[in-house]
Amino acid sequence: MKFMENTKINFMKFKSFGFGLSSVLAFGSIILLLMGVNLGIDFKGGTAIGVSFSEDVSIQEVRSSLKSVSLNDSLVDLSGEEIKYFGSQSDVMIKIKSLDNEPENFGQIVINHLYDSMSAKAPENKNDFILSLGSVSPKVGSELSGKAFWSVVSALVLILFYISVRFEFRFALGAILALVHDVVITLGIFSLTGFEITLSTVAAFLTIVGYSLNDTIVILDRIRENMKSSGTVMFESTINKSINQSLSRTLITSLTTLFVIIVLLVYGGEVIRPFSFTMLVGVIVGTYSSIYIASALLATIYQSSNK
Amino acid sequence: MDSSIRNRLLTILFVFGLGIYALLPSLRYSLMDEEKKSNLSDEQIDYFESRSIKQGLDLKGGIYIVLEVDLPQLIDNLAKNKDNNFNEFLIDLKNEYNNSSSDFFSVFENLADEKELKLPRYFINYGKTKDQIITQLSLQSEDSIKRVIEIIQNRVDQFGVAEPTIQKQGNNRVIVELAGIEDSERARDLLQSTALLELMIVKNVESTNAIIRQIDSIMTASNGNDNSQNDEINELFDSSSSSELGFSSLLISVGGNLAIASKDLTALKDILSKEDVKQILEATNSTILTSDSSIKLVNEIGEEEEFYTLFHLFNNAELTGGVIEDAQMRLSQAGVTAGQAVVEVEMNSEGSREWARITGANINNRIAIVLDKKVHMAPVIRSQIFGGGTVIEGLDSIEEAEDIAIVLRAGALPVPVTIAEERTVGASLGADSISKGTLSMAIGLLLVVCFIVFFYKMSGLIASFSVMWTLILLLGVLALLEATLTLPGIAGLILTVGMSVDANVIIFERIKEELRNGKSVRSAIDSGYERAIRTIVDANLTTGIAAAVLYQYGSGPIKGFATVLFWGIIVSMFTAIIVTRFVFDFVTTRKNIERLSI
Repeated sequence: MKFMENTKINFMKFKSFGFGLSSVLAFGSIILLLMGVNLGIDFKGGTAIGVSFSEDVSIQEVRSSLKSVSLNDSLVDLSGEEIKYFGSQSDVMIKIKSLDNEPENFGQIVINHLYDSMSAKAPENKNDFILSLGSVSPKVGSELSGKAFWSVVSALVLILFYISVRFEFRFALGAILALVHDVVITLGIFSLTGFEITLSTVAAFLTIVGYSLNDTIVILDRIRENMKSSGTVMFESTINKSINQSLSRTLITSLTTLFVIIVLLVYGGEVIRPFSFTMLVGVIVGTYSSIYIASALLATIYQSSNK
Repeated sequence: MDSSIRNRLLTILFVFGLGIYALLPSLRYSLMDEEKKSNLSDEQIDYFESRSIKQGLDLKGGIYIVLEVDLPQLIDNLAKNKDNNFNEFLIDLKNEYNNSSSDFFSVFENLADEKELKLPRYFINYGKTKDQIITQLSLQSEDSIKRVIEIIQNRVDQFGVAEPTIQKQGNNRVIVELAGIEDSERARDLLQSTALLELMIVKNVESTNAIIRQIDSIMTASNGNDNSQNDEINELFDSSSSSELGFSSLLISVGGNLAIASKDLTALKDILSKEDVKQILEATNSTILTSDSSIKLVNEIGEEEEFYTLFHLFNNAELTGGVIEDAQMRLSQAGVTAGQAVVEVEMNSEGSREWARITGANINNRIAIVLDKKVHMAPVIRSQIFGGGTVIEGLDSIEEAEDIAIVLRAGALPVPVTIAEERTVGASLGADSISKGTLSMAIGLLLVVCFIVFFYKMSGLIASFSVMWTLILLLGVLALLEATLTLPGIAGLILTVGMSVDANVIIFERIKEELRNGKSVRSAIDSGYERAIRTIVDANLTTGIAAAVLYQYGSGPIKGFATVLFWGIIVSMFTAIIVTRFVFDFVTTRKNIERLSI
């Protein structure tokens, strides 16, 4: 079947528009990120509790039952903590910041408290009540954030190095800027949704790094190949030709990947939703940036160095 | 058939054979019903368990706990001649260490330098110079961690969990993974209980009264000197129960014992942590501990209140849990405790001798059985006990008795451990994730296959086969690696499908391009592959770098994702470059095909 064959779209004509759009998106994302990201307990420390009631409950109900939890022989008000539905209206997720002097079995105490105070709506067996329980000490939290930060940075540096060796430094620069662009914008959109950043979202971000790179490399590879015959004269037309030649591949691959991700988003369940959502945004932004950031930047870099 | 084709066919068949062989146990095991599984011998189960793809805790349900050995506490335990200077140092050390990401002993060394603390003064048993002492202390800490791991291993084994994983992380953490456990509360208690068993003699009434009077006088004296800020705080809270009325006002007498209301436990802790009080207790070589269980009493205004018994004990333990040879839960046969769960303790010969001496020397005194610094019971010694046998009574349930027996048998932890990180996944959430993960996998795969067959016709069919084989081989590799499949791992599998399709798409688009340029089918395939391979290798290797970094830094579930992604890249390159190429070559050399269905 013929699909997007022999297209002659002048992509570079819209270069300035692309740069403008990306700048606005990236700038907006950075502002959103500065306003605060919703870090999960993995990075901040704290306790996250998922419980499953036997019938639908209202958030208000859960909130008021957490008004006074007996802890260390004193009463603590946990009703101000983050409480939300988890998948259905009978499952609830509660996220509690780490407290000073938190007892070791804090999560269990809260679960027991909920189980007792809302016993009418709780399942008979307490083990069926507990969906999940996670607690991370602030120390481990800061260690994990450090690790996540360095994993992204070292992945970027290694990739920069690899592309510099396989292609040349100017290619690597364009590719890395495109990656940073993807991660920043995806993070920005991500923070709009209110999903929290957990270890698996970091995994998703690294996957985006890998995926978007894959896309970029395919186009850069074409540009490198076409440069052999045309040199760097008329560089923009070389880039246009390369993007057009690989366009069908770019679209087919992005579409298949998007299919899989959308299926994952719809049927994958609550636990994996933030992961699939990140991937969805990342793949779209990544495909766009391969053309309008990585390639267009390359054109700009070449133009200015040839002058 | 020419030799190149035959060799490639053999290689491919060999790899596929290996993949299926590796996957077979997982397949057979997962298809077996419960009845068949229960008929398997232990060896067969071991075989299947080790050869099958394991499901991570997020899929199977279970507990993941990271225990952190309390190193500041260990230092505290090892130090001698502790004074104010040292205690202050220890508090700073705790704070500093909790807020820093560097190694404990480097924090320790820096802080000791900064505070000009003379280490040999406190650790003379461990060396004469700072370096010697630090080396020795870190050896001690390593020993303790080894011991902690052994003990936890023992406890977990006795608890009866299938495939527990216990591993060391860094130099002061232990990761414990217990799959399929439902009662997380019990497991946590079992892991964490230091199970430090101490037998201590209870001080007589006269010296206890004397101590209480002394503490009272300190309290009244210090209250006069308290600044106004403290008074304000006291007023904010419950002023009547606070320390300003003295120590004795918190206590009541219950059946010959002193007791304290549970609401006053924090006040008690405050009093006991006062420097002056500590000094008095030290001077009389005594300590004040509370009971581990409470009694309910009705107070003056008719409300039911909880009380804990208070004990004044000789500070040095007569015997510790180290002498215990065996501890078993039994149902008591005779006497008033008949039918109740008790723990029978047997001591080694050294312990038995000591026990005989202690019981002989303290007839008519009370001896407290102290578990983790809480008094469990304090019976009166009626006569000398020979042979080292003793019985712990008064336990709430069979489960409690069993757990106490386990921790006594498996040994006491040399240092307290705290829970640094914990993740419990209920079995229902795990099962939900598996079924949804599998469903989306199946739907995703089906869509992908339809999509590429629609675009590439016959060639798309070949590509679909190669994607299927990628999945099968990848699962085979995971089984061989004894890797654990987590939820992010399933996401990794799905991503691999995407990458594998991409490799095929890159190749097909190249071939189509070559065909458009007027090449024959044969040479279009050859040059198409040749040019596509470079792109595929570059694109995949960069993703591989991301996966490797992820593996390096990630923990638990993320590591699972990285493993799947990394091997997925390798396997999908193999199927796309070698397997599909072979099929194309095989078909085109046998028949002279003029039009390629692509």
